[in-house]
Amino acid sequence: MSQPVLTVRGLCKRFPAGGDRFVNAVNHVDLSIARGETLGMVGESGSGKSTLGRVILRLSEPTRGSIEFDGQDITKMPKGRVRPLRRDMQMVFQDPWSALNPRMRIRDLIGEPLKLHMRLSRSERDDRIEALARRVNLSNAYLNRTPANLSGGQLQRVCIARAIATEPKLIVLDEPTSSLDLSVRAGILELLNEICRESRAALLFISHDLGTVRMISDRIAVLYLGEVVEQGRAEALFENPSHPYTQALLSAHLPADPMVKVNRHVLEGEVPSPIALPSGCKFHTRCPVAIDRCRSDVPEVHQVPTGQHARCLRIPDGGNIYHRKQTA
Amino acid sequence: MAYGAQTDLAERSAFSVFWNRFVAVVRLSPTAAIGLFIIGVFGLLAFLAPWIMPHDPVAAYTDRVLQAPSAEHWFGTDGNGMDVFSRVIYGARFGFGIAIPAVLLSLAIGVPVGLIAGYRGGYLDEILMRFFDGLRVFPSIILALAVVAATGQSLFNVILVLGLLDSPVFARVVRAEVLALRSSNFVESAVAAGNPTWRILFVHLLPNAIQGAMAQTAVRAAWAVRISATLAFLGVGIQAPTPEWGAMIRQGAEFMVSGQWWVAVYPGLALIFMVFGLNLFGDGLQDLMDPRRRAAK
Repeated sequence: MSQPVLTVRGLCKRFPAGGDRFVNAVNHVDLSIARGETLGMVGESGSGKSTLGRVILRLSEPTRGSIEFDGQDITKMPKGRVRPLRRDMQMVFQDPWSALNPRMRIRDLIGEPLKLHMRLSRSERDDRIEALARRVNLSNAYLNRTPANLSGGQLQRVCIARAIATEPKLIVLDEPTSSLDLSVRAGILELLNEICRESRAALLFISHDLGTVRMISDRIAVLYLGEVVEQGRAEALFENPSHPYTQALLSAHLPADPMVKVNRHVLEGEVPSPIALPSGCKFHTRCPVAIDRCRSDVPEVHQVPTGQHARCLRIPDGGNIYHRKQTA
Repeated sequence: MAYGAQTDLAERSAFSVFWNRFVAVVRLSPTAAIGLFIIGVFGLLAFLAPWIMPHDPVAAYTDRVLQAPSAEHWFGTDGNGMDVFSRVIYGARFGFGIAIPAVLLSLAIGVPVGLIAGYRGGYLDEILMRFFDGLRVFPSIILALAVVAATGQSLFNVILVLGLLDSPVFARVVRAEVLALRSSNFVESAVAAGNPTWRILFVHLLPNAIQGAMAQTAVRAAWAVRISATLAFLGVGIQAPTPEWGAMIRQGAEFMVSGQWWVAVYPGLALIFMVFGLNLFGDGLQDLMDPRRRAAK
């Protein structure tokens, strides 16, 4: 694999929560994405996945750790020096209705990254805008309208066109399909899939929907309480989930085929508060295979035979596996 | 009409679009329409003054001092023998000539300050807004008096002082809007796209935050007309025999007791109507631009 576009080491982000307490949104995350690769990031709501995406793009300041983008350390880089780099790192937001300036025309919204980062003549830019609109299957008739005149799916196409306009090296997609109707979602996913395949960009695809992530990702990272609990190739992770949390997530996910019988395991309890994180392994409060040691010892990352890296104390003794996929 | 409505819609002329809008505004806020009408009349007077005025507003007919209203001098003549009717008409030019540049200056200062204070927040916001609050602490007429008296008596200085003194109003309104907008998704998405701060402020925030300030303009223009007339009445800024309403009222005040009421009353009425018209229009404008106020009606 070629040199990674993005390398994140020990990244932490915490927000003040009054007094000397903090919300620990992202905790010691390590990950990397290579050119042309798609990393799917899954986790429940509140697991810190959106914050992670925002910190990686320096839309929010990291508390600790390092972010290396395209060979440069951007962790502490001044805002003014990050700005030109934004040509190569773009983002697609969850809610397309609010992510676009309501007073701008679609043409200007799509053309904005071009205007900001590339020296193009007016006609060159217009050509690019029209080509981008075609690329995301948006009729040219919409270009002179404002966002209020477009549907959610069309608006998300506009956001995607904006994100790919400057042919960036990294695109962070923060739940790009979860606010859309199911019927529209398939079209957007199809489009994203095409863009993944044809572009050489590294994609960080953030979602809580396992089906979506599986469809689009080369590798998957599972986030729990701001921590990556398991990371590995998509097929391996789906076939042999090694962290108890991944196993629970997958068992909660319904397969497309209604004839497939699944042996479901529903996790007990609530996600602990990110203000007062559990000691030891953060998952021990809900883990069906937790032992006494999990309460006190912080688990290391282990590589399992199927290739994934998982953060569980019970991997060496094999007790981590409690749930097997059943096929009828 | 029912048939062919589709084609009508497509082929409506620009004028009929404008006319329909106008009718809609009149329906929604009749008071605004009345205000607009009054301002329009004064606007015409100011614009057409040279052709309407029967006399030169500063020509002194020394043989006709303090004459009562007559066919020759509709509003009578003042202590210098100048025609009050012509002077009242010409005074409209001063009303607009002070109010419009003063409000534009207020916008030019207040809007950028509100944008920056609201977007940056923190210390910069504190310092800017405390300074502007400080401006508002003094009764504006006293501060205006002091500053105009200190900087020199000129029309230009009056406009400068009024514009500066009123800029906090616009800064506050814009800042409040920006505070609500700055954490919105489209601003973050603009940052993510690589917009420099000035573009975030002026291209992305300004068009979405300016409405409240625009709604204030007519009411603030009324304020500027009132305060500039007050300054002139107090003898600061514009001096007699300049045909400015405040200065004319000052001149006429001394003749009130001796019965020559027309010298002060006619410019006074003109001032009242102009301020009234601007306020009516301003109030209606705020109603029209704020859907919550509109719904409450």
